[in-house]
Amino acid sequence: MVSVGEENLIYGIKLSSVGPARVTSPDVVHEPTSMDLAMKLHYLRGVYYYRSQAVQGLTIKKIKETMFTWLNRYYMANGRFRRSESGRPFVKCNDCGTRMIEAQCVKTLDQWLEMMEDRHSLHKLLVSDQVLGPEIAFSPLVLIQLTWFKCGGMSVGLSWAHVLGDAFSASDYINMWGQVLAGHDPNPVPDFANSPKQVEKSINPAPAAIDPLSVKRVDPVGDHWIYPNNYRLETFSFHITGKQLTQLQSKVSGQNHTDQVPSFESLCAIIWKCMAQNSEGSEPKTVTLCKNNPHGLKDKILSNNQTISVVKAEMSIVGAKLKELAALLVDQAITENNHIEEAVERDGGLSDFIVYGSNLTFVNWEEATFYGLEIKGQEPILVNYTIDGIGDNGVVLVLPGPKNSGETGSEERIVTVILPENRLLQLKSELKRECMFA
Amino acid sequence: MPEILPEFSNSVKLKYVKLGYQYLVNHFLTLLLIPIIAALSLEILRSGPDEIINILKSLHFDLIQVLCSSFFIVFIATVYFMSKPRTIYLVDYACFKPPINCRVPFSTFMEHSRLINKSNPKSVEFQMRILERSGLGEQTCLPPAIHYIPPNPTMEAAREEAQLVIFSAMDSLFKKTGIKPKDIDILIVNCSLFSPTPSLSAMVINKYKMRSNVRSFNLSGMGCSAGVISIDLARDLLQVHPNSYALVVSTEIITPNYYTGNQRSMLLPNCLFRMGCAAMLLSNRRGESRRAKYRLLHVVRTHKGADDKAYRCVFEEEDPQGNVGISLQKDLMVIAGEALKSNITTMGPLVLPASEQLLFLFTLIGRKIFNPKWKPYIPDFKQAFEHFCIHAGGRAVIDELQKNLELSGEHVEASRMTLHRFGNTSSSSLWYEMSYIEAKGRMKKGDRVWQIAFGSGFKCNSAVWKCNRTIKTPTDGPWADCIDSYPVFIPEIVKL
Repeated sequence: MVSVGEENLIYGIKLSSVGPARVTSPDVVHEPTSMDLAMKLHYLRGVYYYRSQAVQGLTIKKIKETMFTWLNRYYMANGRFRRSESGRPFVKCNDCGTRMIEAQCVKTLDQWLEMMEDRHSLHKLLVSDQVLGPEIAFSPLVLIQLTWFKCGGMSVGLSWAHVLGDAFSASDYINMWGQVLAGHDPNPVPDFANSPKQVEKSINPAPAAIDPLSVKRVDPVGDHWIYPNNYRLETFSFHITGKQLTQLQSKVSGQNHTDQVPSFESLCAIIWKCMAQNSEGSEPKTVTLCKNNPHGLKDKILSNNQTISVVKAEMSIVGAKLKELAALLVDQAITENNHIEEAVERDGGLSDFIVYGSNLTFVNWEEATFYGLEIKGQEPILVNYTIDGIGDNGVVLVLPGPKNSGETGSEERIVTVILPENRLLQLKSELKRECMFA
Repeated sequence: MPEILPEFSNSVKLKYVKLGYQYLVNHFLTLLLIPIIAALSLEILRSGPDEIINILKSLHFDLIQVLCSSFFIVFIATVYFMSKPRTIYLVDYACFKPPINCRVPFSTFMEHSRLINKSNPKSVEFQMRILERSGLGEQTCLPPAIHYIPPNPTMEAAREEAQLVIFSAMDSLFKKTGIKPKDIDILIVNCSLFSPTPSLSAMVINKYKMRSNVRSFNLSGMGCSAGVISIDLARDLLQVHPNSYALVVSTEIITPNYYTGNQRSMLLPNCLFRMGCAAMLLSNRRGESRRAKYRLLHVVRTHKGADDKAYRCVFEEEDPQGNVGISLQKDLMVIAGEALKSNITTMGPLVLPASEQLLFLFTLIGRKIFNPKWKPYIPDFKQAFEHFCIHAGGRAVIDELQKNLELSGEHVEASRMTLHRFGNTSSSSLWYEMSYIEAKGRMKKGDRVWQIAFGSGFKCNSAVWKCNRTIKTPTDGPWADCIDSYPVFIPEIVKL
């Protein structure tokens, strides 16, 4: 949804592909897990911004060379989806590659960032919005867009199919490119001998059970993997400085410093209450929380490993105290990962689900290493991520802020809210009232 | 069981008969000379030294007679050595190894094709079928400009590709041989489909700052057999200019030639042609005879252009929509077969041992006089050559030649594996094949190599080299990192 006038900001678009330098053995496949399949209708769209000092002298030739070396490790992200005989999707690792988009921008980096403050939709111009399908056999799972600004700065737009892995995996993936650019070669030789070959999973139809609360089973989308929203979704993003964060935590937990609610749950509590204020009777009583699982699956390079839990509130949200809400979020969250996997496997992975947005979803990306993608030793000055394909109940993302915020010892946060248009406007005004941002 | 045994013993008997016949005819002179020398030595030994001295004294040698005879002998010897053609040495050669970021797997090629040719799914389907049966592997490379969707074939991009491939190969060659660019006396560059002004040879001279009196030639439009034509030209020039180095660069620039239309006869080159380049250093200097890898024995060129069908069989033209492409006619293989026959008719007497030539002569006379129904005798070229380098024009070409010349799988292995690893690199493919044979450690001193190339026109050109010194397995070169995984089995149809 690009408004008039925005089309001319980006020009000189060139498409090509990059892939692994090494030939992947034939018949190597990547089988998505149940959790992966639950997330298959979601897409991560991240943009990393760099000043010209970081990218001076970085030619497209050098970029592509390093990418071919880098992608040796991620051969599964360079394959294409197929369906097995039972209809279950799997990735054929045929080295088809990652789509590469080169573009130029008429504005300078600073002008662009200024424009972004008012119009978050500009984010869409710097990262591809392609989805898997309608022909999944020819749809790339990852698309990378490099946009050069008039001043010499550059943005890297990563478009990532959530079925491959969560934001933490995506972050590890792209950060590895930075490592290869710097000259390190941490590529272990992929062990094709141990890669899974095609295995047919038997379907064990469990007795008709209830679906977990955190996911929503949607109508079959066939081979076009995107959830058709009923409302137009808009995005809004704001920064919270370290000082503000501490203030908010105090607001939620009270002045008692001994049992402070963590920053994430504090933010969630505040936003939840603001959302409920203007919902006119249909308060969001159930919310989903997505957090990183630090005990990651060690043998998998990319995986969907977030802990998805659900919180059901019995009382009225509007009337509740912030501390109560926060306590609910911290203590009463029910982890639903196993339940989700069961639901997916009930018909052999053939059904379509959405996780983000089936309820109001809060996603904790505070620990994500987004700023780890270094080019010439320099971190990005800003990293923005959104999610495409979310449900109508919306999503709140808490991302780490840029490190060079000037304040030592405390960390900035970026909060991105994606909601249907009208609810977003209401939330914005409510948050402004609460002095969440200037 | 018993039926097979007599056949087997028959064929074994036949084999020994044939071997005996070959030995007899090929070493006829030696076999004749041995008894004569034996008889003479016996006679000398019997006569004793005194009698020999008596015989010599009785000959009455005059001073003038002696002087005239020796002068005569010296004169004949001088004329012989002066009129002998100079030996042409191939000091060394280098092949371009494409960088990893130019790799095009089948799946990428097909996906790009679908995106570029959205309105013509039938063309895409056709290209997929060609690719499946092409004999190419997943490591062949296209130049950076062709990686774009749609391809971006500007002149600048073509020049960049030319610089990349030619300068890489030449840098490698200079490093291997220790020759400086200023030592080059003759420069020949051949590239069929890209001919800018100034020429590619001028580009080379500019980059390497060669001498102002370097003799440069740029051959364009001569197709895939232009490599052998360049070698022939270098050889002729080296006959005229003593003590010289000739640098020959064979390449094909892919960037400007991606066909964007839908004619089936023109889609084949897109699927088969890939980036490649080879640079060869030839010399007629005596000093190079020690370290040179090969000596050039023969070059035989056959041109069938006088025949209209042969002339039109590989033709660059515009399709009805105005897209320029190279159309290949359906009778290409038949014409190639005929061109090959012409070529080997000339080549045969030059290289075949006397036994084969006699057999061929007898069968020919027999067919003419006795019975025209006799099968024509196909001389066994495996006796004349240890190695064969057949231009990797496509799977069909290699299959056809293997059948016609009755070659074994190992003889055509170099060609097939080059097609698999590098695709059809046009005039430089012969050198990738030579490189393969060397990398496998099969090239020994005295081995003879036959390079056969076909090209538009229709031409069949061949060159015969003799290995000058046993070549150790090279540690560099285009095959260095993958030779251990070769030969690979290439299935008839690859499932995409």
